Amino acid sequence: MFSQTLAVTMINLRSIPQRWALSLATVFSIALVVAVLLGFLAMANGFRATLSSTGSDDVAIMLRGGSQAELNSGLSLDQQRLIEEAPGIARDAEGEAIVSGELYVIVDGIKRSSQTEANLPLRGVGAAAPSLRDNFSIVEGRMFEVGSNELLVGQSVQREFEGFDLGQSIRLGTNEWVVVGTFSTGGSVFESEIWADLGTIQNLYQRGTSIQSIRAQLSSPEAIEELRTYAENEPRLNLDINNEVEYFAEQAGGTSDLIMFLGWPLAIAMAVGALAGAWNTMYSSVDTRMKEIATLRAIGFSGSSAAIGTMVESLLLAALGGLVGALAVYLVFDGISASTLGSGFTQVVFSFAVTSDAVFGGIILALIVGFLGGFVPALRAARVPLLAVHRSS
Amino acid sequence: MNDLTLIRKNLFRKKLRAILLTFSIMIAFLIFGALGAFYNVWTAGVDLAAANRLITVNRINFTQDMPIAYYSRVQSVQGVENVSHANWFGGYYQDPRNFVQTFAVEPETWLSVYPEMVMPDDQRAAFITDRTCLLVGADLAAQFEWSLGDRIPLNSNIWQQNDGSSDWDFNICAIFDGAEETAPSNYAVFHYEYYNESLAFNRDRIGWMVVTTTGSDINDAVIREVDALFANSSAETETTTEAAFNKAFLEQVGNIAMILLSVIGAAFATILMIVGTTMIMAINERTKEIAVMKTLGFPSPRIFRMVLAESVLLSFVGGLVGLGLATLIVNGAAGALAGFLPGLSMPMDVVGIALGLMLALGLITGVGPALAAQRLSIIDAFNKH
Repeated sequence: MFSQTLAVTMINLRSIPQRWALSLATVFSIALVVAVLLGFLAMANGFRATLSSTGSDDVAIMLRGGSQAELNSGLSLDQQRLIEEAPGIARDAEGEAIVSGELYVIVDGIKRSSQTEANLPLRGVGAAAPSLRDNFSIVEGRMFEVGSNELLVGQSVQREFEGFDLGQSIRLGTNEWVVVGTFSTGGSVFESEIWADLGTIQNLYQRGTSIQSIRAQLSSPEAIEELRTYAENEPRLNLDINNEVEYFAEQAGGTSDLIMFLGWPLAIAMAVGALAGAWNTMYSSVDTRMKEIATLRAIGFSGSSAAIGTMVESLLLAALGGLVGALAVYLVFDGISASTLGSGFTQVVFSFAVTSDAVFGGIILALIVGFLGGFVPALRAARVPLLAVHRSS
Repeated sequence: MNDLTLIRKNLFRKKLRAILLTFSIMIAFLIFGALGAFYNVWTAGVDLAAANRLITVNRINFTQDMPIAYYSRVQSVQGVENVSHANWFGGYYQDPRNFVQTFAVEPETWLSVYPEMVMPDDQRAAFITDRTCLLVGADLAAQFEWSLGDRIPLNSNIWQQNDGSSDWDFNICAIFDGAEETAPSNYAVFHYEYYNESLAFNRDRIGWMVVTTTGSDINDAVIREVDALFANSSAETETTTEAAFNKAFLEQVGNIAMILLSVIGAAFATILMIVGTTMIMAINERTKEIAVMKTLGFPSPRIFRMVLAESVLLSFVGGLVGLGLATLIVNGAAGALAGFLPGLSMPMDVVGIALGLMLALGLITGVGPALAAQRLSIIDAFNKH
């Protein structure tokens, strides 16, 4: 039985060159389906990866109650002082609470890819800000000086936007700035930001001593409950308190889900179209070998071996298509840098990520196309009447 | 039996194959139609932009504000027809997830710079006189089931009143619709004064100005003059045409056009290959038959035309079904997406391009087999088997 099937399968596969044009069309159409799917998934996964690598669960981010986003929020220096005295907050070697009051304004940068203006966050930060970001390191140059018009630029900003090279002076609105350094936070969202001295930003943008958000290092992830209880019982504080992981996970959801919701239906619609192609190819594979299959049946080969041979041919073409598509997407798209408008209303730079899960999903989709495309033709192969031997072609 | 009958019989001689091909062509045009309609709505802001309408924003970025005094200074610029101003309210209804796109505007001038907002005259008058009036777009009203005369509160996720509250009470005294189907009506506007007078912070600031010029030919001059007014001040401005402003905003999201083109390109490459190879095969199978027709005296050009007509017919059958399905889907989704993509419908230019593509697809896939059939030598064909 097994040797029969193997023999028929080999006959099937060796006859592929006779139908090379149709077979090639099937392989490429399935490759395109998988490529479209993986392109969308690479976009969604890349965006999600950037946001989910951002934030740690022992950092609390506090915004004004009901403000939903940092941009809408407004807090005062007095409120920051109250947080510095709050329970559950970690302290450094000198006994100072690790708390960072921050403020960002949106400025225009020129996107390299489209040469158009796009929103960039110019964040005013104090001395504690770097210690509240995991994997923070200065890649080039140095930190800005307090009270100066110096900028520390995230690596992603430098990659996607013009004019942020080290030592360059750049005009943002009415003000001249000098880029004195670039920083990395290991691929997280903060790399899509420009940092400057908090006091300078408050001064230039007439913000007084107000801030938008307070970040605080918690003594442990659980300590956030202590902080929340403290804030609820303090009438001068009306805050929404979240840990950073939750905060960014919430922001990632919308955009990457949207990309997924677009990608899957498109890929499935295309897969159905390619299915017709695969079916057609396998149908003609059976059709042109009608006499041959009947002969095999006449000399004792079983119908199921003919069916399996056809099915294997179909699955093989589909798998080949899937691999070609996945490889093409991997070579062309993996690691490509792109940016879109994030929920902070500023650009989030991310890299396309072709993940093994996505490739696996793509190959499965290809095999489903191959299976469904081969199914009916395979049944037909199993039922070739013996009399077909005599049919003239 | 005329040629058309022959073409039809040939096309459907292998029913399953014809159905499969029609089906994959249908899918490609379904994708084309649906994405085309989506793209049309996506870029509607650019297409609908009035040629003589300008947007003046803070030069730092459009999210930065400017003093209210700018408004009266722009009014006096030569060539300016009307000016209005707006603030982003950050509104929501009852729950922060019920986002309501709301602007605090100068009411009378707002209606003159946006003449595409249409409503009955009495409602227009009511909006201008009633300072607590909320002028609601028809799509937005439908979304929240609001009707004329309703009193509703809207919260702001940015602004607060002096008393610490963040909700403003409104009277829905007017409902507007877009003059054209694609003009958005998924937002609401209300009196700037009502917003400004009770603000706890940031009073007497405006978000942006909308300027109409007396003619689009003087746009450049007005742009230069407006921006020159505020040069070297603490809030310099940047004025652009409405179309350029909208286009730049869409660019911020990403190169959607390229993504859609790639998908459509992939879908068409797929069917081009499937249909193309199958047509070649289908004609190959009929080699003998074509030789017989030639023997019977069918002239070669007629055979050429018949084979070509067959592939064009196939392309149109699949294409029209696909486009029809796309129209059904788009119309079905229009209601559900009204808040997010107002005015979703199947635009005529997408239909036009689709028809062109059907013809092109039919010709491209048919021309090779048709030429082969035309050139077929009778002797060779009969010797083949």
